[in-house]
Amino acid sequence: MNRRGFLKLAGALPAAGLLPELAWATERKTKNKTEASEKVSSKSKRQKAIVLIKLSGGNDGLNTLVPQRDYAQYAKYRTLAKVPEHKLREFPLDNGMSVNPYMLSLRRWWEAGELAWIQGVGYPHGVLSHFRSSDIWETATNAFEHSEIGWLAQVLPQYKQGLHGIILGEGLGPMAGKDCHTIAMQSPQVFLSQVDLVSDIQPIDRGSSALKHVVNIQHQLHDAGRQLKEKMSNPQHLSGFATSVLGRKLESVAQMILNNVDTAVYKVEHSGYDTHANQINVHNNLLFELAAALNSFGETMKQHGRWDDVIVLTYSEFGRRVQENRGGGTDHGTASVQLVMGGRVSGGRVFGENPRLKDLDGDGNLYMTTDFRAVYGTLASRWFGVNNPWSEFGSVPFV
Amino acid sequence: MNTLTFSEARHLVSRTGLGVEWDSVKKLEGLTQEKAVELVLNPAPAPIRPAPAFTPWNKLEPMRDTSAEGRKDAWSIAQTEGKRLQGWWIEQMLLSSSPFIERMTLFWHNYFPSSIQKTLQPSLLYKQNLTLRQHALGNFRNLLKAVARDPAMLVYLDGYENVKGRPNENFARELLELFTVGSSEYGQADVKAVAKVFTGWGIDQSGSYVFNSAQHDGSPVTVLGRTRAFSGDELIDMLVEHPRTAERLVERVWQHFVSGNRPDQSTVQSLAAQFRRADYDIKALLRAVFNSPQFWAPSNRGTLVKSPVELLIGTVRMANYPRESIGEMVNLCRLMGQQLFDPPNVRGWLGGENWISTQTLLVRASYLSKVSRGNLNRRVDTGLRLPPQNQQEMLEWMLAVPPVNKIPDIPGNRRLANALMLDPAFQVS
Repeated sequence: MNRRGFLKLAGALPAAGLLPELAWATERKTKNKTEASEKVSSKSKRQKAIVLIKLSGGNDGLNTLVPQRDYAQYAKYRTLAKVPEHKLREFPLDNGMSVNPYMLSLRRWWEAGELAWIQGVGYPHGVLSHFRSSDIWETATNAFEHSEIGWLAQVLPQYKQGLHGIILGEGLGPMAGKDCHTIAMQSPQVFLSQVDLVSDIQPIDRGSSALKHVVNIQHQLHDAGRQLKEKMSNPQHLSGFATSVLGRKLESVAQMILNNVDTAVYKVEHSGYDTHANQINVHNNLLFELAAALNSFGETMKQHGRWDDVIVLTYSEFGRRVQENRGGGTDHGTASVQLVMGGRVSGGRVFGENPRLKDLDGDGNLYMTTDFRAVYGTLASRWFGVNNPWSEFGSVPFV
Repeated sequence: MNTLTFSEARHLVSRTGLGVEWDSVKKLEGLTQEKAVELVLNPAPAPIRPAPAFTPWNKLEPMRDTSAEGRKDAWSIAQTEGKRLQGWWIEQMLLSSSPFIERMTLFWHNYFPSSIQKTLQPSLLYKQNLTLRQHALGNFRNLLKAVARDPAMLVYLDGYENVKGRPNENFARELLELFTVGSSEYGQADVKAVAKVFTGWGIDQSGSYVFNSAQHDGSPVTVLGRTRAFSGDELIDMLVEHPRTAERLVERVWQHFVSGNRPDQSTVQSLAAQFRRADYDIKALLRAVFNSPQFWAPSNRGTLVKSPVELLIGTVRMANYPRESIGEMVNLCRLMGQQLFDPPNVRGWLGGENWISTQTLLVRASYLSKVSRGNLNRRVDTGLRLPPQNQQEMLEWMLAVPPVNKIPDIPGNRRLANALMLDPAFQVS
C-alpha cells in the first residue's frame, strides 16, 4: 500500500484524529483492542469486493455448459470426454444448454437468480499458448498486443486508494503494475504469523531495479500487515465451509470480507484444467470442487448479509478443442464460459450465443462471440462506477 | 595483466556458485579473469549422491489403469517419492563440491521444465535430472535431442500420446515457442506439422524412449516454410539453426548470469554468433558471457534477485550456518516459490524480480531471521565460519552492494552478519 493513500484513508474514518501510527501503537498495548477496532469497522463503509477465480490450464467450456439441444453434434466430437446425455436433465438451462451435473449444488443459486453464465467468451484469433493467452486475459490485450499492466491496474487506482487487491497464491496477474497495490499471501493466518519479522523501510532512489523492488515490496508488506493485523486479529470461525483447497481459500476470502479488510479484489486460483488426457473424471472432479466451494462461499455471504457486496467471477485462459484427442482429453481451444455469482447479479440468465458446433475455425476451435473485455468493461462501469477503458467492446448486463 | 580483486572474485563466485563461500573466493582472488573463468567452467567432477528408491515406471503406470483405488495408491506413491526426489537434489546442492554443475542443471531444468505433479513419475524426473546434468555444459543441439527423447518430457508434454492420425500438439508447440524459435516465428500450421513429425515417439515397458514406427506419420510437412519428410532429429537441427533459437538462449543466459535487464540487440547478436560458430557448445557461450565487460561492470552488481535455491542453500554454504532438516528445506523452497521438479508451468519459473512478492519476501525474512537468530543466542560452537577480520571485509564478502539499512553500532561479526542477512541488499546478487 502506498503510505500517502493509507493516511488519507485513515483520515476519512470517524475514529481518526490520532495519526494511524499512533493509533496503532496504543492499540498494540491495550488489551481492549477488539473493541476499538470494531468501532472503526462498524462505522466504516462496507467495502464491495470482486472475487476472481482463475480456472488455470484452460477450462473446457463444452463440458461445463453442455449442448443439450445439439447433443448429437456434440457426441460426434466426444466419445471418452463426453458428459452422458441422461445426466443433462439435472441442471438444464433455458437455452438448450445444460450445466455439468457435478455442479448441481449451484442450481439453487441459478433458480434464485443470483448466478449467471456468459458463454462464447474469448477474443479474435485466440492464441493457444497458456502463457500468452493468460497474459492476454489478465492484461485485457489481444492476440497481437503485449502488456505487463493488469486489467484491474487500469481500473482500481481510479476507484480507491490504499490496498487494491489480495491474492491468495502467486502471480499478480490482473493486478500487476506499479500503480496497483496488491499483496500475495498463502493465507491470512500464515501472513500474520510472519509479518512482524518485517521492519518498515522507506522506498529508495539509488541502487538497481532489483534492489528497489525488494525495498518496495518490504514497504508494501509492512503497511498491509498493519491493516490486516488490526482487522483480522480475531476472525470469526465460519462453519460448514467446503474443505477442498479451493474451499479453504474462499473461506479465507470470506473471513477477510466479513472483517472489513479494505480491499476491492480477491483472486484465487483453481488449477488442473489442462486436461490433455483422460479428461472426464478429472474435469468433473474439478467442477464439483468448484461448485461446492462457491456454494459455501455464497451461503456464508448471505448469512452475514454481505451477498450484495460481492461478485464472484471465474475466468480461464481459453477453452478446449471441440474434437477430443486420442487420450480421451482435449487440446487447447478458444472460446469458453464464465460463471458470475452474487446478490446483485442479474442471474438465472445466460449471456452470449450458444456454441456453433458446426462452424469451427481452421484448427477445429469454436469462434468467440463475446469479447472478454466487454465483461471487464461491465465491471468497471457498473460495479466500480469508474471510466470504462474497454467501452468499444460493449457490455454484458450481468450486473 | 589485470588480476581479480576480492570483490571481483566474489562476484564470479556469487553468480556461478551456491553461496559466496570464502574459500572459493580466495581461490580465485589474484588470478587473471580468463584463468578464473576457466576454473569455474571446468569444475572437478563431483560425486552424485545415491538415488533414493523409486517405484519404476512400468509398475506405477499400470496401477492407474486398474481402478480408482489403484490411481489413488499411485498418486500417494508419486507424492512420497516426489518429496524424496526433491530432498535428494537439495542435499546434492548442499554438499556438492561443484556447485556450478548444480546451478547449470537447475538452469536447464528451468529451460526444459517437467513436473512430478503432471507426470506423477518421480523415477522419470530423476533420470531427466541425470540427463540434464550430463549435457549441462555440453552441446545444446545434443541436449535438445536428449530432451525430446526424455521419458519425463514425453509424459509432461504428452508426446507419448502423439500418434499417427491423432496428433497431440503439446510438445510441438512448446518446442517451437519455448525451446527454440519463440512465439513470433511460427503459426498454428507449423505446430500441427511439428506434431506430425514427432508422432510415434513414445516410452517402452522399461520406461525408456522408443520409436514406434507403426504410430509414426512420415508424410512430408511444411515447417517454417521448408517442406520435406523430416525426421525428428532433422527437424531439431533445423530449429536449432534458426537465428532466434541461439538469440533466445543468449537472452536467458544473460538474465540468469549478468543482469535482469534485457541485453541490447548487438550484444545478443554477437554472443549468438559466437555460440553458433562454436557449434552450439554451451561452455563456449558461457565463456563468452563470463568474459564480457558487462558481466564485470560494477553497475551490474546487485542487479539479480537471488533465487530461492541460492538464498536457502547459498546462505548455509556461505558460512556453514546450521541447516534445517532436508524435509523443511524442501518445504521452504516451495514456499519461496521454487518447488524443484515442479515448476509452475512449462515456461518454468519467471525468476528475476518475480521471485520477490509480499508472500515470498515474508518467507525469506522468516527463514533468514531463524537461521541467524539461532546462532546469535547459542553460546556453543555451531561450526559457523565468519572469516573476515573487520567490518569492511564482512560487507564486501556478504553483500554484492552496500547495505540499505544502518550498520549496527555494537561491534562483532555475528551481530553484523545477522544484520546484513536481514538487509534488502542480501536478497540480490
